[in-house]
Amino acid sequence: MQTIGMIRLQMNTLITQARHDLYTLRMTTDETIKQLLIQRLWDTLSSIHFLNELLANQASMTMPMYQHPNGLIPNMVQTQIPPITPTPESPMVANAIQLTIEELAQYDGKNGRAAYVAVDGIVYDVTNNRAWAAATHFGLTAGRDYTAEFASCHAGQQSLLATVPVVGRLV
Amino acid sequence: MERYLLPPEELSNEAIAESLTNTATEKIRNGLLQKKNLVYLELNGCSGNIISLLNGSNPDFEYTLNSMVNLRYCNSLMGAEGEQATEKLFNMLDEDFILAVEGAVALKNNGLYNVIGSFKGNPLTGLEAATMLGDKASHIFAVGACATHGGMSAAKPNPSESVGLQQVLQDKKMTKLPGCPVNPGWFLGTLAHLLLSGEPETDNLDRPLLFYSTLIHDRCPRRPFFDRGIFAEKLGDKTCLFKLGCRGPVTRTDCPTRKWNSGVNWPIGDDTPCIGCAQFGFPDAMAPFISFDTTRVVKDE
Repeated sequence: MQTIGMIRLQMNTLITQARHDLYTLRMTTDETIKQLLIQRLWDTLSSIHFLNELLANQASMTMPMYQHPNGLIPNMVQTQIPPITPTPESPMVANAIQLTIEELAQYDGKNGRAAYVAVDGIVYDVTNNRAWAAATHFGLTAGRDYTAEFASCHAGQQSLLATVPVVGRLV
Repeated sequence: MERYLLPPEELSNEAIAESLTNTATEKIRNGLLQKKNLVYLELNGCSGNIISLLNGSNPDFEYTLNSMVNLRYCNSLMGAEGEQATEKLFNMLDEDFILAVEGAVALKNNGLYNVIGSFKGNPLTGLEAATMLGDKASHIFAVGACATHGGMSAAKPNPSESVGLQQVLQDKKMTKLPGCPVNPGWFLGTLAHLLLSGEPETDNLDRPLLFYSTLIHDRCPRRPFFDRGIFAEKLGDKTCLFKLGCRGPVTRTDCPTRKWNSGVNWPIGDDTPCIGCAQFGFPDAMAPFISFDTTRVVKDE
């Protein structure tokens, strides 16, 4: 029940913010601010949607009769996945891990395994990288050394790598 | 005093496209704008783009198109057939026209893998038509995946040796509208923009920023699930489809807001991942379209 209360609180905060944004939008003439506000409103809406789903989920768990008018008790299949906040590992600690090209091949992102790729001798974790959906990226599959491919497609975009968590080194 | 517009509807891409189309139609009706000729060429493809365009609504595609341009040639929509139709195409060479091309250009055997008609008993290949008309056109639109980069027609093993239109018209500037198929709004909006105020601003891949500037992922209603690491394990799950191979994070279109079939729904809205049909290199670069072996732990692999 406490969770429901917290979700409600968060939802109300978002609604207040959205109302305020709408009000500001009506008043402002600054195009830049307008764009920022629209973007924020969009995000707010997504969050409200998400919280709403969460709330519905909670409600159906606390009130099984609501979803099952026959009176059948549902088996609790909807196991909640705890929210994961992907935090990049500190490179200092991670650099300790050394992988051979064969070991790297194990991390292909399949069957619940992590997805790693190597560029210039550094192994990166792309498991939850948005450009690597299902551990594939423009025809490339995870678990390999892509130094040449990175150089040909992302020349001068070294900064891209800074956003990807480092796992270790390729030996 | 400028009238304030309340977001988000009025500032959305679809509203902008609609207002562009309406303004162009109105200006033409009032004689402020000259109607131009349009040649719509279908080359090596599946005619999927013209089918998609016909699905435009309120006003429908035919009405909108005819009130903005004179459609002078279109394999699928014109009344003439056979040599008569081809003759109409050749007559266009002496006039000013906008060229829209859907489908890839087949290069194998000097283009004989894609014959689009015959003229004076000789086969007219897509390759000939594309180079001949592309040379004379005032503006060129590459419509759909095949015309922009080869698309399905150029997918491995590419038996017809198909290429995108740009490869046979290398020094010609063209507006590219990728998508398999193109959304009616993207095409009509770009056409209206061209008539009203010239070519729309494009990115480095010649796509109009108007429609192709934002990642699907950045406007996805399921983005909060991605940010919280809640992923769908099978089709039909209502959460983020990233682990199934969703290409929304690498594809730039306005599908999340515009949707398809006149705004009825879109892939992610129907719990199936985006397959990146509007990304260059589709379909090979976007494969596999779906993977079930990423999240599931199977003991006996």
